[in-house]
Amino acid sequence: MTKLFIVAGLALAIAAPPAFAQRGRGAGAGGADANAAAAAKPTPRAPDGHPDLTGVWGGAAEPVKALAPGESTRILFPVRTNPEDKRIFDEMDLAAKERQAAEPNKPPYKPELASKVQLLSDKRQFNDPSFYCKPLGVPRMGPPSQVVQTPGLVVLLYQGRNTFRTVPTDNRPHNADADWTWNGDSVGRWDGDTLVIDTTRLVEDSWLGADGWFHSNKMHVVERLTRKGDTLTWTATVDDPGVFTKPWEMTPRTQRLNPNPRALLEEDPPCLEQDGPHIVTDDHH
Amino acid sequence: MKRLLGTGVALAIALLGAAAPALAHHSLQSEYDINQSITLKGTVTKVDWVNPHVYVYLDVKDDKGAVTKWAVTTLPPGNLRRGGLTRDLLGYGETVSILAFRARDGANLAFLRTITFADGHKLEIWLGDASKENP
Repeated sequence: MTKLFIVAGLALAIAAPPAFAQRGRGAGAGGADANAAAAAKPTPRAPDGHPDLTGVWGGAAEPVKALAPGESTRILFPVRTNPEDKRIFDEMDLAAKERQAAEPNKPPYKPELASKVQLLSDKRQFNDPSFYCKPLGVPRMGPPSQVVQTPGLVVLLYQGRNTFRTVPTDNRPHNADADWTWNGDSVGRWDGDTLVIDTTRLVEDSWLGADGWFHSNKMHVVERLTRKGDTLTWTATVDDPGVFTKPWEMTPRTQRLNPNPRALLEEDPPCLEQDGPHIVTDDHH
Repeated sequence: MKRLLGTGVALAIALLGAAAPALAHHSLQSEYDINQSITLKGTVTKVDWVNPHVYVYLDVKDDKGAVTKWAVTTLPPGNLRRGGLTRDLLGYGETVSILAFRARDGANLAFLRTITFADGHKLEIWLGDASKENP
């Protein structure tokens, strides 16, 4: 019997989970230096002269090997305390609350909505749509995991929940007949070397973050994707005159091109929420 | 069989914690009681390899042969996979011993810490910082 210990961090080192990445820590292993080195590489261009955003963005180069049958292992989800600490569940919640309090970029809600946001945040375990397997939606799901760029159409793929978006770049207007959805109706255009994606018709069911950040159906999102070398930077401006005092600039996120040219996205297992009925207190991350 | 993933096709697995925000799902404290540990010995009847938490279902027999059904949950599938686990390594059809922490509401539900198999090998899937363990 082999003993194989996978220590804290490995489980998460490969890709920062969105919960963290949304807070601007999405650079992944290597951080700013690795991003600067990747950005210094040449930027490939499509035949039409625009930067070619095609590629898998983020993730590790090497596949994860499965353990052999009969092999022991230890996987520790990173929590900053001794695994034997009886307060370890509390510690997870405390760390998350500290991250929340330290969040430097909160949406500019109208003052009269502050108490509603706080209440939703306090009761997020019962209210956050993503906890119950609803989509994250635009813009909460952040930058794409893969881009496929063709003349007149850019396809954005998101590994989480096996999500796709199609963004026409042939100068067509928004679809006036489009239904209201979680990812909305998107059209794209090039502004210099930046792909600008304009999205409307977003249902009000989604949140912008786990801290009770709700929005109205007046939300309008403009995302910008800029490739520099082997980096892709995503920004989003969220305008919602229904709930904000001014447009909100989300924290930009930069992903590096996956170093393995054969990298593929993999199917995300289905989401089946089974915990809700067993939650007995308001404790939350 | 289990090596389908080992053939190099699975470059992607490492990709993207984009899977469910890791344990951003809900507070363990709100659902499980760390002071109520339980050891369940039984047969694994089903493995649900789903987000936001993987579930292992167990038939536990008492001395008189009566069967009680238990559900034991753990980290999201992405975290397990990045740690080298696949669904077929979680003991489907096997007799195992599971150390877990019970749900506060009294249901036959618990949060996993360790699965020990008949041949003695163990999978510990837990939380914490190993560098802070007492030597």
